[in-house]
Amino acid sequence: MQSPAFRVVRALLLLLIGIFFLFPIVWVLLMSFMTNVDILRSPPSPFFVPTLRNYVALISGHLSTSSGEVQIDYMHNLLNSVILSTCSVIVSLILGVPAAYAFARFKFRGGEDMAFTLLSFRFAPPLLVLLPLLGYFQAIGLYDTYFGLIWVYQLITLPLVLWITRGYFEDVSEDLELAYRLDGHSWLSTFFRISIPLARPGIAAAGLLSFIFAWNNFIFALILGSSSVQPVTVGALAFITASGIEYGQIAAALVLSVIPTLILAIFTQRYLVEGLSLGAIKG
Amino acid sequence: MSTLILDDVSKIYGKDTRRSVDGVSMSIKDGEIIALLGSSGCGKTSTLRMIAGFEDVTSGTIRIGDKVVNDLKPSERDVAMAFEGYALYPPLRVRENIAFSLLKNRTPRAEIDKRVGAVSDMLEIGPLLDKYPPSLSGGQQQRVSLARAMVRNASAFLLDEPMSQLEPQLRALLRARIKDHMTAHRMTTVIVTHDQTEAIALSDRVAVMDKGLLQQFGTPDDLRERPANLFVASFIGEPPMNIFPGARTENGVVVLNERGEAAFGIAGATGGLSAHDGLHVGIRPHRIHVGGGVPGAETVQGEVLSSHWLGDHSHIGLSVGGCFLIAVGDRDATPPAGSVVPVSIPRDAVHLFDSASGAAIQHGL
Amino acid sequence: MSFLSIDRLSKSYRKNEVIRDLSFAVDRGEFLVVFGPSGAGKTVLLRLIAGMVRPDRGRVLLGGSDITDDNPEQRDIAMAFQNFALYPHMSAFDNIGSPLRAAKVGEAERRRRVEEAAKLLRIDHVLGHLPRALSNGQKQRTALARSLVSEPSLLLLDDPLRNVDAKVRYEMRLELPRLLRARDTTVVYVTQDYKEAMALGDRIAVLADGGFQQIDTPERVYNAPASARIARLFGDPPINLLPAVRSGAGLRVASSEIALDGAAPDRAECTMGVRPEDVIVSLEQASGAIPVEIDAVTPLNDRQVMLLRADDGTEIFASQPQGTHVVPGGLPSGRERPRAWARLDVSRSHFFETASGARV
Repeated sequence: MQSPAFRVVRALLLLLIGIFFLFPIVWVLLMSFMTNVDILRSPPSPFFVPTLRNYVALISGHLSTSSGEVQIDYMHNLLNSVILSTCSVIVSLILGVPAAYAFARFKFRGGEDMAFTLLSFRFAPPLLVLLPLLGYFQAIGLYDTYFGLIWVYQLITLPLVLWITRGYFEDVSEDLELAYRLDGHSWLSTFFRISIPLARPGIAAAGLLSFIFAWNNFIFALILGSSSVQPVTVGALAFITASGIEYGQIAAALVLSVIPTLILAIFTQRYLVEGLSLGAIKG
Repeated sequence: MSTLILDDVSKIYGKDTRRSVDGVSMSIKDGEIIALLGSSGCGKTSTLRMIAGFEDVTSGTIRIGDKVVNDLKPSERDVAMAFEGYALYPPLRVRENIAFSLLKNRTPRAEIDKRVGAVSDMLEIGPLLDKYPPSLSGGQQQRVSLARAMVRNASAFLLDEPMSQLEPQLRALLRARIKDHMTAHRMTTVIVTHDQTEAIALSDRVAVMDKGLLQQFGTPDDLRERPANLFVASFIGEPPMNIFPGARTENGVVVLNERGEAAFGIAGATGGLSAHDGLHVGIRPHRIHVGGGVPGAETVQGEVLSSHWLGDHSHIGLSVGGCFLIAVGDRDATPPAGSVVPVSIPRDAVHLFDSASGAAIQHGL
Repeated sequence: MSFLSIDRLSKSYRKNEVIRDLSFAVDRGEFLVVFGPSGAGKTVLLRLIAGMVRPDRGRVLLGGSDITDDNPEQRDIAMAFQNFALYPHMSAFDNIGSPLRAAKVGEAERRRRVEEAAKLLRIDHVLGHLPRALSNGQKQRTALARSLVSEPSLLLLDDPLRNVDAKVRYEMRLELPRLLRARDTTVVYVTQDYKEAMALGDRIAVLADGGFQQIDTPERVYNAPASARIARLFGDPPINLLPAVRSGAGLRVASSEIALDGAAPDRAECTMGVRPEDVIVSLEQASGAIPVEIDAVTPLNDRQVMLLRADDGTEIFASQPQGTHVVPGGLPSGRERPRAWARLDVSRSHFFETASGARV
């Protein structure tokens, strides 16, 4: 039995830890409604007159600083982020899901090594390959294109999709596939009607994670693209202007940039928690 | 080597409102072998774990000998346990695994070797003594785990599904040897199992559990001949009891088929019955005699649907008035499928149950 | 002309030959049970027939044509699995209808046939449920309905009654043969329960050590086992295998002389196989009986199973039918063991070669 004192202490500790980790998020949210003056006040005060100025500036693209009006096309960055992340995930799923199935189902010579090699792309720091990549991206005309960036993003998203969905495919009973084929269905139809639906929670998880990883990527886009294709992570740099750092707008930009991933996470949650086997196979 | 008494023992897990074990009382005599029998989730393992001390007792008391053990640690209770998951120490050889508790008690070396040798001969693991557990098959590990428990001198022995992984040929032999060993050494033993044949083969008394409640605690004969309720009746026996809805008539009972029509009647005294509306009739397959001519029995005509010869006995599937009846015959009884035969149902093999509560009303007409 | 024939089939996994030069044939409408201890290769054999696994050598012929290289969906074979293998995201109706959908059967006809199969197996009231909402018995019936609905020429059943409770198991054991016989389906049924094998099989193929040790009717397998190893696989408790030495006109078994009437093996020594039900135990001394003590009584259903120990330590199982309790009320607690005499029914005994275990 737990004594009341123990429970009070435990609740207090949990609260403290919660505040410690949640405070930065709350603070950024508050900052996005503050003027730079409020933000830089010392000591900081939670009492201020909230303003939508930062958001308006972001959405309109007109930023007025002490040294004059600056044009920042932040909404274009946001659109870039959406295009880059969505396309990367789609490409990864199209390539990665069938590959993951093959790795899970067929034990072929070198299969394990191949799967591991693909995963090992995640181990190396991106900078290792970035400079040579920059060189030949410029040479073959992929520099500063969506196509080029989406291609490079596969380094991030493909291993994730492969390794996560592979585990889920391994959990789909081979008997189910055999049963479906004996019913008279081709292997292709078995793949689409049995294997894919049963691995759906895994595919959803892999898709969501790769989306987030792609969304948060900074270094690839910084080096391999100009402002025309750069996503929000790079775009936020623009607020560090010659006349000072626009903390309020950076905060608002961050808040805006989190919204799409948040919506996606909520939307896919249903698939993530959906049980895998749904009780068909006696466990 | 001690008595073991459970008095109104209950277990509630966490914030659960349901009682996983609900007011179980039983008194196990010194040297008695009992089985806790039930399907998964019936509370048998929780009960065992409370006796062992791995779970708190929510209410009630557990006594080993004269001592209330509710608040004692598992190590202070002087019980030996064989775990369902074996729980062997992987870095130790089989021999050291078995001798572990004896070594801890500073038993003399010669005594340890003698006892380990005896128990490993009994369980046919002599050749495995110098191997390491991970290199053994599931059945072998299970026997080592059993040996580790049985080699000890403890007040009570707790065996959780001790023979589930053994191959059938070995199982029959080990059951008999273990029972011999346990009775010879007067070991107070609690066996948890979901297999009714195992419970009946090994134990002096069987506690049948369902939904946390003790349904019946009695000798194998009690469970077979006087099942306390429909649950016990349908759980015990292979094949289990034939159970049909029925109704009372002027001079006995009538058995109803799936469509609710009268299939056949059994004449007899149904004195204690008048108050009950819904009725279920149970007939043990082992007592039904195919071929008729049994004195004191109701004889009806049945069509043989199937006839399965199993070597030393046979299972006969019968249709009597649209009711599907299984009978167990001896090894010569294999009437051809499709034939119509007289079927004798001894009156004392008929059991009546209350449909609503499931409780037994009457054993034998 | 046999319907399914397997011709010298072999399959290895990583140098471990699971199936070696296996050949057998099943007639149309026959119910063949493949029985063997776990790990004997039964599941691999079914997968070879179903086409999920390709053999290293050998051929599979169905209805006279070679299907060794056909894909599973091209073979007219249905299968029911031990774990049911129901499609978890489809209703019972869609599960059962799956083979008909593959065969492009029209919707109305499909509905009619699914409902007919479901009615036959008494699951017509749960057709709309997803598998997770079904009891194990209903799952098994759904799986069976799925395998029957397209009226396949060959039905493979992989231990289908292993995961259902006792009541359903008995019902199905009795129902299944009638259901299949009515449709003249050819069945290969895999089990590791010898009683199921004896109850269901027209013939039993005993699979052990990668090959068939005996293919015969249940009666022959039980009463004339080809080897001591097969004899041990059938019967609970298992057959007593006792070393026997020729001694004059009789045999010396467990340090006792027993008389031989009739057929005697013409060997100096052999292994005598006596089934527990052919050991008659009495508390009174009898000539030609082995003096024993009763070590344990382990009732099996209504039979009294006794472990006897002869004076030289030989253990002998005896199993008496219902109603005959040699030791009423079981053995008392303590070291005292009752004295008894065991007579072996020589006329029903089997004799095997000591070294090879082959039947003499």
